[in-house]
Amino acid sequence: MSKFTQNFTAPSHGVELRSEALSLIDSLPVPTRRSERWKYSSVSKLANSTLSTHKGGAVGLEGWPEEINPNPIPELDAYRVVFRNGVYEPTLSDLPIADGIVCMPLSSISEDLARTIFNNEYHKTEWVGALNAAYFQDGLYLHVSKNIKLDRSIVVHHLTDGENVANFPRHYVRIEEGGEADVVVWSNATEKSSGMCNSLFEASVAPNAQLFLEKITNEAGDIYSLAHDFITQEANSRFKAHTFTIKGSWVRNELSIVSVGKGTDSIFNGAYMPCGSEHVDNHTTMDHTFPDGTSSELYRGIMYGKSTGVFNGKVFVRPDAQRTNAFQQNTNIVADRGASINAKPELEIYADDVKCAHGCTVGQFDLEALFYLQSRGLDENAARTLLVEAFIADVLSSVPSKELSDEIKRLYSERHLWS
Amino acid sequence: MLKIKNLHAKVGDNEILKGLNLEVGPGEVHAIMGPNGSGKSTLAAVLAGREAYEVTEGEVELDGVNLLDLEATERAREGVFLAFQYPIEIPGVSNLNFMKAAINGKRSHCGLDPIKPKEFLAKVKECSSLVELDGRLRDRSVNEGFSGGEKKRNEIFQMAMLEPKLAVLDETDSGLDIDALRVVSKGVNKMRSKDRSFIVITHYQRLLNHIVPDFVHVLSDGKIVKSGGKELALELDEKGYDWLK
Repeated sequence: MSKFTQNFTAPSHGVELRSEALSLIDSLPVPTRRSERWKYSSVSKLANSTLSTHKGGAVGLEGWPEEINPNPIPELDAYRVVFRNGVYEPTLSDLPIADGIVCMPLSSISEDLARTIFNNEYHKTEWVGALNAAYFQDGLYLHVSKNIKLDRSIVVHHLTDGENVANFPRHYVRIEEGGEADVVVWSNATEKSSGMCNSLFEASVAPNAQLFLEKITNEAGDIYSLAHDFITQEANSRFKAHTFTIKGSWVRNELSIVSVGKGTDSIFNGAYMPCGSEHVDNHTTMDHTFPDGTSSELYRGIMYGKSTGVFNGKVFVRPDAQRTNAFQQNTNIVADRGASINAKPELEIYADDVKCAHGCTVGQFDLEALFYLQSRGLDENAARTLLVEAFIADVLSSVPSKELSDEIKRLYSERHLWS
Repeated sequence: MLKIKNLHAKVGDNEILKGLNLEVGPGEVHAIMGPNGSGKSTLAAVLAGREAYEVTEGEVELDGVNLLDLEATERAREGVFLAFQYPIEIPGVSNLNFMKAAINGKRSHCGLDPIKPKEFLAKVKECSSLVELDGRLRDRSVNEGFSGGEKKRNEIFQMAMLEPKLAVLDETDSGLDIDALRVVSKGVNKMRSKDRSFIVITHYQRLLNHIVPDFVHVLSDGKIVKSGGKELALELDEKGYDWLK
């Protein structure tokens, strides 16, 4: 056992996956900058730290820190599944109970079921993935039956609270044919917290079904936030994801979508505005393996202060994926001299009858536009605010609920002192 | 009203204005003509407070306020308006939100509460009809996808919304066809009043048939080399600028 994992305790559920992952951890290298996937996102400081998984149980409202609302989007009428340091908080949660919906903590599902649900191979290929699979604590299990539409969003709330905490949330969602659901995954951390939140979200969307996923990272403290989302889409299914990084000292979001049936539709958008010495990394993969699929990706970021960023967008169009229509755009503004971003689109197209467009830009604030606004009497802050709001408006406007997009906008504006 | 004394300005190491003097009284319309590169647009940029232009000498006062001490924002709030030669397209910023922010910026500068929505809308309606800017354009993002003429009409719309003391029109006639020129000029003429002054920068006499100036000045090599009444523009149209050098 390595020094890094010595204080991690593996819960007793999900044995098969765990034992496989445990046997692999030591053979998988800790990623270094020599690996292309991790070239601009170093985890060496993390790998040399000493973290522990949380030992106690649920704390309820009494043990919950005052600075964080257990319900992160007060205006949104939603179900809630709450985890503090990876531990499920039943009294702060409100799960849907309805015909055709099975929703429970992942730790409660049977071993037989646990054996069959996860299909991603992240634990076989990446050290980070093996860590999650070996030590995952709890998470959302959601099963939506055929033609059932979940009436409200489910908010999955992760809180990291404490020093040198290792969190391993793991979530699973299955939407059967014609079913629909919207899941919000919201990650918070208290001011004094430190450690890691290493989460995995796997979903599979059946023919003609629909899944919306909104991911928001708003972590104070000093947290390595590593999220891996793995989505499988069957024929004519629809998936829409939004990834917003509001705050976080080190954030890496990996989103991987595989289309395994004809006519899938995938939309995934994101925004980030790091400041100080924050690091934000978005790695996305869209894999078209069947014909007639469409995908549309829009990520926008503004880099402030001395922040660093990474955007890597892979799009594969396999030989059978004829008539694929794939669009990707990544637009970045480097607002301050000390900030930087490495942006890289990667398109691999093996089918001949396809429409693929991509654009990737890194620029500065448009000084002409700024002067134009100021010459009409807007002060510099108001002028910049208008430009920033306009810049991320296309990402915010496609968020499915107004309550959520308003809250995200409010948090951004609070953080960046928009007028 | 506006007093410019011995104004010198440069961009980088390139001195462009070399001792310009100009007085504009309340309600007056002054046309500034002159060959390419004489410093006309530099004068407009310096008045509006564009940062790339460095004033090395001289004074600019508007109603006793030294404009050169102020940022572009504050100049606008003091009543300076520049109609751009090339208005900027700003995708995603709604024209009306922009105008509301601009009006409220000015109002807070004057110690007033933000404009009431009803009052704002009435003003929008009035000012857009002045330049025949239809609702479709008015409600869009700032200048996004506008034709050359539509952009210039939008400039005059903004001018009407902001009711400046001093409006500087920088080659507002460039890129306009005859009909658009007429509409824009009509808008400007309706805005003329005893306490609003205009500086109209243009290459062509044609605009001055519509916006009839009280004075015409010829700018050459960074200085005003000749001033006269509206008939000077006609003379320039006939003879060109060479005889003044």
